[in-house]
Amino acid sequence: MTFVVASFRKDLSRWWQDRMAFVIWLSIPFLIGGLITSMVDGGDGAMPTGVLLIHDQDESLLSGLVAGAYSQGNLGELISVEQVSLEEGSERIENGDASGFLVIPEGFMAAFLDEEPVALTLKTNPAQTILPGIIEDMTEILLDLGFYAQALFGPEIQTIMDGSSEGMPDDVFAAEMAVQIQGKVDALEPLVFPPALDLEIVEPPPAEPQPDIALLFLPGIVLMALLFAAQGMSADYWKERETGTLRRLVSTPGLLSRFVVGKAMAAGVIIVVLGGITLGAGFLYHGVSWSKFVPAMAWITLSGIGLFAWFSALQMLFPNQKAANLLTTILLFPLLMMGGSFFPLDVLPDWIAAIGRLSPNGFVVDRLTTELTSGSDWTFEKESWAVVLLMTVIGLAICTWRLQTGFARR
Amino acid sequence: MLEVRNLVKQYGDITAVNDVSFAAAKGSVFGLLGPNGAGKSTTINCISGLLSPTSGHVTVAGADIVKEGKEAKRSLGVVPQELALYEDLPAIENLRYWGKAYGLGGAALDARLAEVLEHIGLADRARDLPKTFSGGMKRRLNFGCGIVHKPEVLLLDEPSVGVDPQSRQRLFDMVEAERDAGACVLYTTHYMEEAERLCDSLAIIDGGELIAEGTVDELKSQLGARDILQLNGEFPVDSVKAMVDALRDRGLQDFELLAEETGSVTLTLSSASQHLPAIFEMLAAKGGVVAETSLRSPNLETLFLLLTGKELRE
Repeated sequence: MTFVVASFRKDLSRWWQDRMAFVIWLSIPFLIGGLITSMVDGGDGAMPTGVLLIHDQDESLLSGLVAGAYSQGNLGELISVEQVSLEEGSERIENGDASGFLVIPEGFMAAFLDEEPVALTLKTNPAQTILPGIIEDMTEILLDLGFYAQALFGPEIQTIMDGSSEGMPDDVFAAEMAVQIQGKVDALEPLVFPPALDLEIVEPPPAEPQPDIALLFLPGIVLMALLFAAQGMSADYWKERETGTLRRLVSTPGLLSRFVVGKAMAAGVIIVVLGGITLGAGFLYHGVSWSKFVPAMAWITLSGIGLFAWFSALQMLFPNQKAANLLTTILLFPLLMMGGSFFPLDVLPDWIAAIGRLSPNGFVVDRLTTELTSGSDWTFEKESWAVVLLMTVIGLAICTWRLQTGFARR
Repeated sequence: MLEVRNLVKQYGDITAVNDVSFAAAKGSVFGLLGPNGAGKSTTINCISGLLSPTSGHVTVAGADIVKEGKEAKRSLGVVPQELALYEDLPAIENLRYWGKAYGLGGAALDARLAEVLEHIGLADRARDLPKTFSGGMKRRLNFGCGIVHKPEVLLLDEPSVGVDPQSRQRLFDMVEAERDAGACVLYTTHYMEEAERLCDSLAIIDGGELIAEGTVDELKSQLGARDILQLNGEFPVDSVKAMVDALRDRGLQDFELLAEETGSVTLTLSSASQHLPAIFEMLAAKGGVVAETSLRSPNLETLFLLLTGKELRE
């Protein structure tokens, strides 16, 4: 047992000094995770806004209503309206400093009331796509609305306009207008009401609460950090061989199995730190229940040690250090791709997801995703823990076997 | 303390060590001499348990290295030829780790660490990383890691290779200190002067076979008082044979031709300097031209030449 602790302390002390490797193992998943999360979450949620410049040459009640219509309701959140001179408006729209520039000509209201043709001029910014389109559609709707209003209530509007030009209308005038308009509405009622169609509104059944899409990426990102670390630390067996310390170890009574366990324990501490930082950040960002943190840490630590053991075993199966590093690095990427680190298993094609779930990291990611996204407490599924524990023990046994069968003696 | 009996190590058809036997006593330095590739390191690796012998036995402090490996290794300290250190672990932690590998711990280990650091002259650099050390300091730490558990048998595999003269002297002092403390030291080298300086007894190995064994004085006595004379130049066919015949005609009894190659003749004879004029004359008479003459008095290097017909450092 003393030698297990000695081996553990030795490796932990050595690896802890290699801060650069630690930063790299941590920064790559954080960078990729940050990018993915910001893409999925759509940034800070701020909506784009446009500027509509209006030059009102008519300065009438109607032209004022038209200009004001763009600032009403939801449209007002998208478009801010600015009154400008003709010169300023022309210059700014040429410079691309606005989404649109609307010119309301002089005599607009008079022409409207007399049912004479009148032209509104709208210049849009070709560099923008959505907002100018909205302004254009809104303008057409306003014109259609004006046409129908004129057709139905032309005399009443004319009377109101005439009255408004003589100061504030008195109560009698207002009552007369209301009666006239109500009369027309009553006349239209048989045509419009009751509606020809009965509309039955069917409420859809309440949907299952959908997990936060960005949260689906978290397990894969955490495993990415662990995979990088496991692969990086596994190269230490070759480093020990190159420095002759493995050969020296064989000539001591210290058991190779204890050496392997000590190294795995040191890897476990590094994994706890890496996993703690990445998982903790994820829990904070996504608001995952902290009651799941400890079991999640236990799960990824055991899994991380297992991954380290298997990467180490693989390293020692290759004939030289260069081949070992190259091939284990190459192996990383398909594991990351299929194991849910770049794309959640749930969004992968079924057949790839099925393979991914059988990969070592995919198995761990799948279980972690299930637990983190469920609304209930962590479920200790014994079979999953047993599989990971068994695989870890087998990996460590292979490492010991390789050391005993020649790797340490060369 | 250390016994090697009929040791054989084969790699397929190649026999690296062939029926090697020797024994080394407590409180002595036993030298294993031979040129590169002679089988010294293979022998050391079999003794340290790195290699399994094809046949034969190695016992360390009474324990068989194959059958009672753990027990034998507990009594064994190894200082490998190449540095075997953790360069990113402080010197004292290197020593502590290897101490624990040998089963030491607690206050006894702490006390021993202080002792070893003092012994190897690194007490003031105990907390420093070996990667900041000079080559000589690393060699000393490498040595310290091999003796941290006070081994009864200490294996030193060419420990002086690449060591500067000052560090080499310190190394010799450390080896002698281990011997004086009662350890049995097995020292392999291809530097005969080192062997003469350090070893109480030694064995000469070549081509995987032990060709001589004894104390330094015993081995030197095999040479008698004969010198080694090496002549380089141009020697026509039969000129050397004529010279040898002429020397025999003169009645030289302890004369022997060791080696004859193109442009080089090596022979051993008593008081060689007195016979040089006659030798030159005889060779010249047959058209030979001597360009270079080397005359060496008897030592282990000349013994190796006598035994194998080749230079130790070839």
